[in-house]
Amino acid sequence: MVKEHLSTQYDADLEEIRTRMLQMGGLVEEQVSNALAGYADGNSPTLDRVKATEERVNQLEIELDDRCTHLIARRQPAAGDLRLVMAVVKSITDLERIGDEAAKIARIAKQMHERGIVHLSGFSDVRVAANLASSMLKGALDAFARMDAEAAQQIVMQDKHIDSEFRSLLRELITFMMEDPRTISTALDIVWIAKALERVGDHAKNIAEYVIYVSSGTDVRHSQGQSESTALG
Amino acid sequence: MSAVPAMFNPISESNPIYRARRRKNRVLMGVSLAMLIYGLVWLVWILVTLLWESAGALSPTLFTLMTPPPGAKESGGLANPIWGSLLIVSSATAIGTPIGILAGTYLAEFGRGSWLASATRFLNDMLLSTPSIIIGLFIYTVYVAQVRHYSGWAGSFALALIVIPVVVRTTDDMLKLVPNSVREAAIALGCPKWKMVTMVCYRAARAGIMTGVLLAVARISGETAPLVFTALNNQFFSNNMNAPMANLPQVIFQFAMSPFEDWQRLAWGASALITAAVLLLNIVARYILSRSK
Amino acid sequence: MTADTLSLEKLPSKLQVNDLNFYYGGYHALKNVSMSIPEKCVTAFIGPSGCGKSTLLRTFNRMFELYPEQRAEGQIMMNGENLLTTTMDVGLLRAQIGMVFQKPTPFPMSIYDNIAFGIKLFENLNRTEMEDRVEWALTKAALWNEVKDKLKQSGNGLSGGQQQRLCIARAIAIKPQVLLMDEPCSALDPISTGYIEELITELKKDYTVVIVTHNMQHAARASDFTAYMYLGELIEFGKTDDIFVQPKKKQTEDYITGRFG
Repeated sequence: MVKEHLSTQYDADLEEIRTRMLQMGGLVEEQVSNALAGYADGNSPTLDRVKATEERVNQLEIELDDRCTHLIARRQPAAGDLRLVMAVVKSITDLERIGDEAAKIARIAKQMHERGIVHLSGFSDVRVAANLASSMLKGALDAFARMDAEAAQQIVMQDKHIDSEFRSLLRELITFMMEDPRTISTALDIVWIAKALERVGDHAKNIAEYVIYVSSGTDVRHSQGQSESTALG
Repeated sequence: MSAVPAMFNPISESNPIYRARRRKNRVLMGVSLAMLIYGLVWLVWILVTLLWESAGALSPTLFTLMTPPPGAKESGGLANPIWGSLLIVSSATAIGTPIGILAGTYLAEFGRGSWLASATRFLNDMLLSTPSIIIGLFIYTVYVAQVRHYSGWAGSFALALIVIPVVVRTTDDMLKLVPNSVREAAIALGCPKWKMVTMVCYRAARAGIMTGVLLAVARISGETAPLVFTALNNQFFSNNMNAPMANLPQVIFQFAMSPFEDWQRLAWGASALITAAVLLLNIVARYILSRSK
Repeated sequence: MTADTLSLEKLPSKLQVNDLNFYYGGYHALKNVSMSIPEKCVTAFIGPSGCGKSTLLRTFNRMFELYPEQRAEGQIMMNGENLLTTTMDVGLLRAQIGMVFQKPTPFPMSIYDNIAFGIKLFENLNRTEMEDRVEWALTKAALWNEVKDKLKQSGNGLSGGQQQRLCIARAIAIKPQVLLMDEPCSALDPISTGYIEELITELKKDYTVVIVTHNMQHAARASDFTAYMYLGELIEFGKTDDIFVQPKKKQTEDYITGRFG
């Protein structure tokens, strides 16, 4: 991808950080898909695995933080290398949060299944949002692995789809709740899950923005939101 | 902070300090230039006179014929003094150079900071500026007067005494120019000191030391005073260093003062030869030094 | 990731310094320095000018003995012998502990002879053996490809960075156990520095390397362990990772973060 450094150890350290970061991404992706699968079929062991994975994710976060700190202290990375390290430091926070959201989904799903779902449409309500969130996360991690700014740009654009999907789902559930108050607690749970998926999308978008920052050096955070709001307004 | 007064800017042509400095600079430059021209005028005058006067003397026979007896009909040459000078100067160099280099090496490499070295250095500097006639007298007293005859060897010894301080000084200086870190690098490899000096320091200072030797040779090839008391002169071609020996400075001295026109002409020829030799040695010395950089 | 798994106490020590004191005439330059320099690692000494880091380095090969007014007291143990008092010939001792200096110091001879010089001091090699050894040393110092066609040329004709690598090659040609480097990169441009740093990481596979440097980043990049010295005292000694991320002493932190004054 890039020309090698004079110091092979430096190259090895940077590569190690990238690999660990992607490994952490893989684990988080697995958490999200397990949480959604468990929610869909009510399989309790699948949901438990989400919790179990979280510890490994947390450990990786600490380890990556440590590696980045040491790399900065010892190698004084500059330019592209510095942007990469900064992006990793920030991305792992987002990844860890995604892991938290996945755990939240799993916890709510487990409660819902233990209680027995008062039959709304259940999982199918959030399917679109779930697919969007999963594909954004996967796309962001792919873009990171390949440092592909264009793909990352696509992910950033997708965020507004998941936002509007969340809003329409919310309107739909409000209708349910007004019609039949017995559905309120379940509908609220679904709202929490949908909100968690929307957050996953946000974090994936952040990661995509870091990819653009690393590969082009431009910081696209917040600028996108503004142009979007002016377009809507 | 107060504002800078606007009316006077010190960084300008009108600043009196600046103008006074410029004036001084111009005056000093003028004086140095005048002095340079003054010095050059004499040098050029000497060289022109020398070339002018020796023009008639320079011929191939200068190198083949002996010095003529007084008032001789046929013209003579300088073969015997040229040969004698070569012998005396080369043996003086052969005696003086090793002693000088070894003493210089002691000063620069082994005797650093010792009282012996500083005393030696001081005495060497005195020897360096001793008038050569005193050296001639000294050799006369300790050698010529003892063996009871003038000789080529005595001349060589006297000239060697002039070579030694020059070589000591240049060796000392040139070795001191070798960076200490290079010495330490050799020592750090586990190299013994004598090997460090011979293999590393001498190599680094080689050009400088050789230049010093050449300059010493140039210096002694024109020395007359020490030879007056030692080598004396000889009308004939001689290889015997134990007997008086002809040499160029002595020939100049003797022939130039003579009433014979033929001799005077030869004296000019000898002067031109010595000057040419000194010039050549200086050029070679400069070439060696410049090539080593 | 060697340094991650290393810890100072567990590593075999190559040079064990015990209560070392050093004097320049009446000036007390090193005060009760004790440390254990681990084998086959890179140890860096950092500190402000005059803190004694070079002085400490120069006690290891008894370089200070060249100057009669300097003396050292204490112990420097290597292979079970006190280097300061051993009966071993000092030439042999120095052959085991190579040294590279701040300024490149090529000898005034050809590149080949520069390397062969040190070897000839201790070994009688025939022509092919010598050629092999010279090639080995130059390859090890990452210089062979640049000079293989001009071995007979003077070492002074090389660039500064190449000269420094030539000096490293010369030092390792006699196969020392320890390599001392006194600010080896301070006279070099960043690219040459990068080469030398990479070379140092390579060399630690076979040698115990000790570097003195006034460039903290250089120590951070190139070393496994770092010792911070100040006014002749060893203030802190530990893993480079720890020293540069969480030093234990306030003094060390102030120096490393540039709050020194």
